[in-house]
Amino acid sequence: MDIDDILASVDRGAGASPESTALDHQQLTRFWVAERAVSEVLPWPAPLMERVMDRVRMQIETIEDLASSSGDTGTPTNATHNPNLNLRLSILQTDLARTQYIIRSLLRQRLAKLTKHSMHYLVQLASRSKSPFSQSQSQSQSQNPNMMPEDSVPDISAVDNVSPLSEQESSFVHAHQTLLAGHYGGSFMGSFPRTLRRLDDNAGGTSMVQGPETKEVVFARCLGVEVPVFVGGEDGEEEVGVTMRMGDVWVVRWEGVRRAWERGEVELL
Amino acid sequence: MAFPLPRGITPTEIAFLAEMETVTVVPRQRLEGLELLGGPLEPLVPPRRASLPLWLALLLKRQRRANIMPPPWLHPEALSLLLEIESQHQDYKNAFSPPPRLPGQPSVRDYQDGVMPTARPQYTRDGQKYYPAPPFLPQNVAQTTFSPTEVPPLPFHWVEVGNMLLDAASDDLVDPDQVRRLLKDLREVRMAKMRSGVDVMDAAAMGGGGVALTGVGAMEIGEERGFLTGVVDGLRKIGASKEQARREQMAEQRANGGYDGTQDEEEEDYMEF
Repeated sequence: MDIDDILASVDRGAGASPESTALDHQQLTRFWVAERAVSEVLPWPAPLMERVMDRVRMQIETIEDLASSSGDTGTPTNATHNPNLNLRLSILQTDLARTQYIIRSLLRQRLAKLTKHSMHYLVQLASRSKSPFSQSQSQSQSQNPNMMPEDSVPDISAVDNVSPLSEQESSFVHAHQTLLAGHYGGSFMGSFPRTLRRLDDNAGGTSMVQGPETKEVVFARCLGVEVPVFVGGEDGEEEVGVTMRMGDVWVVRWEGVRRAWERGEVELL
Repeated sequence: MAFPLPRGITPTEIAFLAEMETVTVVPRQRLEGLELLGGPLEPLVPPRRASLPLWLALLLKRQRRANIMPPPWLHPEALSLLLEIESQHQDYKNAFSPPPRLPGQPSVRDYQDGVMPTARPQYTRDGQKYYPAPPFLPQNVAQTTFSPTEVPPLPFHWVEVGNMLLDAASDDLVDPDQVRRLLKDLREVRMAKMRSGVDVMDAAAMGGGGVALTGVGAMEIGEERGFLTGVVDGLRKIGASKEQARREQMAEQRANGGYDGTQDEEEEDYMEF
């Protein structure tokens, strides 16, 4: 056990220590780069984002306090008392704006992915809590003569675990898809035969729900000692291709390093 | 729509990341410590050196409140040595010069002597492993001690840091014109290597395969990202049926118990450039 371990253990237990602020910032930055680099939505880091958002809120209050105290610097005594106030304010504001930029870019990127593959994520979420009851319900729905595209939007209100999305994202994606389905129904799908009105049709063995392409390549840096690149994706095949060594930068398929990324041993660039 | 930018961070965003690199400054005025969202800021007391993120150092520099100490590699001597390695050295004909080592990573020479790397992760507050990496490693801070034998390696964000310092703090650099020339030469040599590497890109198009780009800079990735990912994705689509057939064949062999591990040959023979 050395000083790093002790620091790490303190870090995890205690509240907002300065080290954890820096570490959270680094994690947020890395997560943002990763989210921008891959085609699928990455698991939402809820605790991290909560801490970051809390800090942003507090920082805004600090800045407002400082700014209001500079507002009544009409008296020269106050100005000489605090000559660096404007500089401090501009540093704090720049820092805040930089963090807000990362958060905004991160959220917008996730929204873009969600709207692009909304049906895919809804089906993925709904498949988790598929009870026999809802199965039969969807069966009966397809017999329904007034079947509209909206009816094929999976109901995810009963799903507890909305990973990889956040709560807000899951309700957004459901509302988005319902609106979209309503629009499709109103504009052209309403005149289709009712058997062709589903948005998750998989007749003929081809699903019409398109998901993100996980075979696309990413630039990855190996941070652990050695990281094997898997051939298969998530189908559980343990076939190993090339091996990355510490410090190496490789162009590899995202699905091959995905699990190593989840362990924190690979960084996307 | 919600987000117009393409997949992968763009050059502007890479420059934004590079501004998080830590540099050494000599402040010209006092400033008390501040609690920033990126971590606490140490108090500035002239003439004591301080380590600051590059964006802040540039902000202070533009207001003439601090001088930036150039990083060891941003020096005409170091750069001309690096240029010589990149263009003349036998080992790096088709590869980039080695990047700065991560914490716990042995040097190339130690590696050959059998020293194993020791990756020592920090733990985040959520209990996950965290290995620090650029831009959060001190790859651009000024050093007080120089080892005469070792050339300072090019850091990950060398293009961006070099250009930003040339723009905003050229009076703090040694012989800025020469530095600018050398940076341009280095970029051209390395760009040629990147281009010649396109020949081996189909290695990355196979499942489990990959192409090593160790030593590449962030901006160099940013410039080639669209092209490289486009080429590899095209190759993947062309080779998809072949790959599918090969996987089926292997699954069949495994089912027959004949998996002897020799059919991986094709994957093992990746190429470094």
